[in-house]
Amino acid sequence: MKRWMGMPMTAVLALTACVTINVYFPAAEAKEAAKQFVEKVIGDEAQPPAQPEPEQPKPDGGMAALMQFDPLMLVGISPAYAQGAPDITIKTPAIQAIQSRMESRFDASLRAGFDSGALGFTQDGLVVVRDASKVQLKDRVAVNQAVADDNRDRKAVYREVAVANGHPEWESQIRGVFAKQWIASARSGWWYQNASGGWKQK
Amino acid sequence: MVTLLLLAAGLVASPLASARVMQAHVQRVVGAAVTLEDVLVRLDWPADGAAGELTVSAAAVNTPDLGYRYRDLHWRCPLRHTPDAHWTCDGVLVSGRSAPLRLAVDIGAATTHASLSTGNARFALDRNDASPDATQLDLTRVPLVWAQALLSQAWAAGRLTAGTLDGHLAVHAPTARPLQVTGTLAVNGAAFETPDATLAGEQLGGRFGIDYRKARALTTVTLDGALQGGEFLAGNAYVALPPSAIDLRIQAQQRGGAGWQLPVIAWHDGQVLVADGSAAFDAQTNLQGLDLDLHSGDVAPLAGRYLSGWLALAGLSDLQLGGAIDAKVRVAGGQLHSASLALHDVDLIDAKGRFRFEGLEGAPSFSATKPVSSQLRWTGGQLYGLDFGAASVPIVSSDGELRLRDAVTLPALGGSLRFDGMTLRPPAGDDGADIRFGLSLDALDIGQLAKSLGWPAFQGQLSGRIPNARYSGERLVFDGGLTMQLFGGSVQASSLSMERPFGVAPSLTADLALDGIDLQSLTGVFDFGSITGRLSGRIDALRLVDWSATAFDAELHTVKTDGVKQRISQRAVQNISSVGDASFTSTLQSQLIGLFNDFGYSRIGISCRLSNEVCAMGGLEDADTSGSETGGFTIVQGSGVPHLTVVGFNRLVDWPTLVERLAAASKGDVKPVVE
Repeated sequence: MKRWMGMPMTAVLALTACVTINVYFPAAEAKEAAKQFVEKVIGDEAQPPAQPEPEQPKPDGGMAALMQFDPLMLVGISPAYAQGAPDITIKTPAIQAIQSRMESRFDASLRAGFDSGALGFTQDGLVVVRDASKVQLKDRVAVNQAVADDNRDRKAVYREVAVANGHPEWESQIRGVFAKQWIASARSGWWYQNASGGWKQK
Repeated sequence: MVTLLLLAAGLVASPLASARVMQAHVQRVVGAAVTLEDVLVRLDWPADGAAGELTVSAAAVNTPDLGYRYRDLHWRCPLRHTPDAHWTCDGVLVSGRSAPLRLAVDIGAATTHASLSTGNARFALDRNDASPDATQLDLTRVPLVWAQALLSQAWAAGRLTAGTLDGHLAVHAPTARPLQVTGTLAVNGAAFETPDATLAGEQLGGRFGIDYRKARALTTVTLDGALQGGEFLAGNAYVALPPSAIDLRIQAQQRGGAGWQLPVIAWHDGQVLVADGSAAFDAQTNLQGLDLDLHSGDVAPLAGRYLSGWLALAGLSDLQLGGAIDAKVRVAGGQLHSASLALHDVDLIDAKGRFRFEGLEGAPSFSATKPVSSQLRWTGGQLYGLDFGAASVPIVSSDGELRLRDAVTLPALGGSLRFDGMTLRPPAGDDGADIRFGLSLDALDIGQLAKSLGWPAFQGQLSGRIPNARYSGERLVFDGGLTMQLFGGSVQASSLSMERPFGVAPSLTADLALDGIDLQSLTGVFDFGSITGRLSGRIDALRLVDWSATAFDAELHTVKTDGVKQRISQRAVQNISSVGDASFTSTLQSQLIGLFNDFGYSRIGISCRLSNEVCAMGGLEDADTSGSETGGFTIVQGSGVPHLTVVGFNRLVDWPTLVERLAAASKGDVKPVVE
């Protein structure tokens, strides 16, 4: 349905200018989802400890409601809420499992690499060892492995987020949104690759 | 360094007799291996003193053959004449801002002895006039960084960062003939690296015989000895040396400004790895040619010692190996030309339990050019917990591809798998592996499959034909379909595909069509209570991630079949109700349900559209639902007396809870809420 909503507009625009409107991609929702995911992985201890927002069960989209304990679950099955407005869901079990794995990997090894400048975020949403000399030889293999494992997880996340939301064709856009978010959420002093491929320090 | 001391000492030795202060300034001193610039020598000898004070300084000292360069060298020492007619001088040597060293010189009638030391490190030199071209060097805990200039001559990017040297070297430096250094050196705790960190080593130890010859046109080095412990890294390769000694012999030569040639490389790590061959580098130290024969009589330690770097990148760390291998690698013009691997009873076991191969035998060959035939056999294995049997795989390789020469039949799960027309293109550059094959499944036993996968005890057979399967970009797509003969009916699987089959969160998608499944057998397996009848329907767009369902669009209903009774037991009703959060509407009072063991039914139907962890449930289509005015849907439509209808009200159901309920129901520990 959404796929065709842009069609009449495309037709009109085609007459006036060479602009093509493709499938509607919920960029704002994707950005919000990516932000949640990335902040969870990187952690937010660098920011002032914000009060955790009380999760309000929303009438239209609250998968969050399912996370709450409902005594009714003891006797029957709690009602679920339908998805209303277009949303980017990142709460599938597969994505959550990857997220928590990435979170512990980030704390165990990657964070130190970013702090030392050994690692950097690439423009395509991955992690690379940009300066291996900053890693001690004995840790080099472990860091290379953590980076390779993390990149496998990242690719799976970008793919799964697209597929779980019913639009496998959004994969590259999702990836682009996440790539920007990793950089946006990076701490000061961490390295990232800008759009032209050069390395910059935040 | 060596010759400098001699020259300096030589200058002071002669004009001593009468002057109390002597000073000499020499613009430039040129020796066989050393050049000194702007040399100042001053000797201050008190008239009644037993010793004089000698000061020697030079603005620059260069040893072009050895690569050493010093600026602002300064040495001050008390000069004595000993009773046995030796001149000795022992004092502090400073060069630029480097840490001061102690330089002691002892010159006799025909001998010269000098030693340079700091802390417990000592570098000593001996010469004898009987052999004027020869110099003996003794090294005791000499810091390896002192050899940096020497190393830079051969390898500009190499940086020595730690380690000590002990041993003895004889330097032979005849005029107009090649410089030669021979001897034995023991290395301890050596560390090196390159600025780009692609090559690095740490804690390396060993003992080597050395033969170094340098002439204008040709430099040769021979190292022959044993490596003892340490670790090093080259690109993605990481080698953790064992505590046992590794015999290492390297011959290297360099002509003019060309790159290094290594005509002999011999690496003998006991039974674990024996490598013999040769290599060639260009002037920028890039590998140009390599010809290496490798043998491992026991591959078990290979993964930890030599392969961990690559295995870690491939997500295969902790791969367990067993058996023996022989391998040949040939690189020509900087490109992999050919590689072959002969396996002798090799076992490959993935620590994460994704795969295992046992008794691999054969020599799969890869050719980038002309066709090469080879064979690979194994005695058995396992894929995601599913056992498969012995097979022999005939392979032909050409143009960078591997192909099956004939179809291969693989016994598995009581039946067989038959692969035909397989082509495999290994990953190259940015392109991942590309595999295409046809697959036939013949009478696989679903009982065994269910047992391997930890499913309930299903019984049946799985057969099918997939004419084309293709793996590329981490996606495995199957054309065609599979048929399962299950519970007296059939399940057809089509539109099968997998993503990341061996990677992170493997996913499987399929459309399933169910036809004539015997409900009594099905409910018996799940211990759900008893239902008789036949079930048909579809599960479209089924998607399993990490082997659990994340999405599908399912609709299942009973089909009236002649000669098949349609009864549902009291326990099944209760389980359906609890799972479906349904309530009964009955011509009898609901509380009376317990008086009957089973009920007749005319139809059962249920649908579930799963996405985002929520199952959108429905019941029989076109059923006149007694609860429809309240949004209910009929799951069981009764027949006869007592007339029982089960109506669901909760259309959106939390999927994880539903799965929990189903599991609990099959264990019989669910009490429904009966209204």
